[in-house]
Amino acid sequence: MKCEEIAELLPDYLQQGLQGERKNIVERHLESCVECREVAGLWKQLALIPDEQPSPAGRARFDAMLQAYQAGQGSGVVTRRTTDKGTSIWSVFQWLRSPVGAVAWSIALVALGTYLGLQLGGAKSNSQDLAAMHTELTSMRQMVALSMLQQQSASQRLEGVTWTRREEHLDPQVLSALMHTLRYDQSVDVRLAALDALSRHAGQPQVKKTVLDALQEQQSPLMQVALIDQLVEWRDAEAAPGLEKLRKLPNLNPTVRQRADWAISKLN
Amino acid sequence: MLQVRDGAGEMLGVLFERYHAPLYNFYAKLTGDRALSEDLVQEVFLRILRHRQTFRDGTPFRAWIYQIARNARIDHFRKSRPQVPFEPEMAPAVAPGDPAQQQQESELLHRAMMELPEEKRELLVLCRFQELPYEDVARLVGCGVATVKVRIHRAMQELRQIFHQLQAAPASSAQRAAAQNFPPRRMT
Repeated sequence: MKCEEIAELLPDYLQQGLQGERKNIVERHLESCVECREVAGLWKQLALIPDEQPSPAGRARFDAMLQAYQAGQGSGVVTRRTTDKGTSIWSVFQWLRSPVGAVAWSIALVALGTYLGLQLGGAKSNSQDLAAMHTELTSMRQMVALSMLQQQSASQRLEGVTWTRREEHLDPQVLSALMHTLRYDQSVDVRLAALDALSRHAGQPQVKKTVLDALQEQQSPLMQVALIDQLVEWRDAEAAPGLEKLRKLPNLNPTVRQRADWAISKLN
Repeated sequence: MLQVRDGAGEMLGVLFERYHAPLYNFYAKLTGDRALSEDLVQEVFLRILRHRQTFRDGTPFRAWIYQIARNARIDHFRKSRPQVPFEPEMAPAVAPGDPAQQQQESELLHRAMMELPEEKRELLVLCRFQELPYEDVARLVGCGVATVKVRIHRAMQELRQIFHQLQAAPASSAQRAAAQNFPPRRMT
């Protein structure tokens, strides 16, 4: 049997999931094929990499977090020891080598070029030039965000959502893409991130409407709970009829129904 | 978990005892960063608390907790993209008493793992170290079981190639880092 055919059986063999004749086929192949035998050998060797032991301080941190959460201080409890590490100049340099860093680097170069060009060209007014440069940069950043929101990979779309958070005022096209992401993205994580990003733009009437519409469309309980929480945070009294409609859905997750009831009581 | 969901917060402590070491290892093998792994484990349990109401009866808990763990990691790297490069100092301590060659191979293999692309490394960590069935992994990463098996096969092939390259040229990554003007980092 050829390696390509064994490739279909080998992963099951590695996880001890093959029996009888299929197992014999793989074992016969391994006897004659060095490459596949090496793969099987490496799989076994991986078990020799020992497990790491978490530090005993982890339990104390967990207990503190649990106590704080139960005391109603859930957010902001988990301290991040790693944040100060991120400020190392080497970390910044590493970041510049990543795809997003490369885009940021390009934008910085364009900005520098524009600035130098304006200076050397004897521009009329510095403040006007700087404003123009700022507008151009904003527009470029939004273009990057828009492009990333349309990527195949969920993690890239997540990065796209993150880019939108850098701007206080979003271009209508980016805002529209973000709202589309909230409603239709395949990944629940990306949809949740989009909701988070949109929460800062409650002043835009179409944002609240989109969130309300999404509430009726989303099937994931995680999403439904997040949307309900957002509406309560906005104290959007107009959401009450939508919540009533949601809670009457026959197949609604009981937890979501409970959350909707809680939200209705909060909003009324 | 059902008790945690229904409000018995102290039951979360039981879950913590059972899952914090496997989760820590999941992160440590993925990121090679102990401090970050500790932080992410705490984040997972905070998220369990926050989202416990969304846990549905009959859902496999292990798959659910790893879904949360993956999301926490994605969110973390979304916020701070730079990843800690693998350094020899970050290789796990090999159990005492291991023969020298075995220790060397184990370190080399660990280094090869860290040089795999992230998504392939994650698959191997989930299937080999966390011993999740292919069905659970398929659900986690959002593809079919057959696709997971194909990806595992490819990941193992690539691991074999990297392992061979490292065996042929066992320059330490510290040396390679120096060549690239990167200072070697130590695990904290």
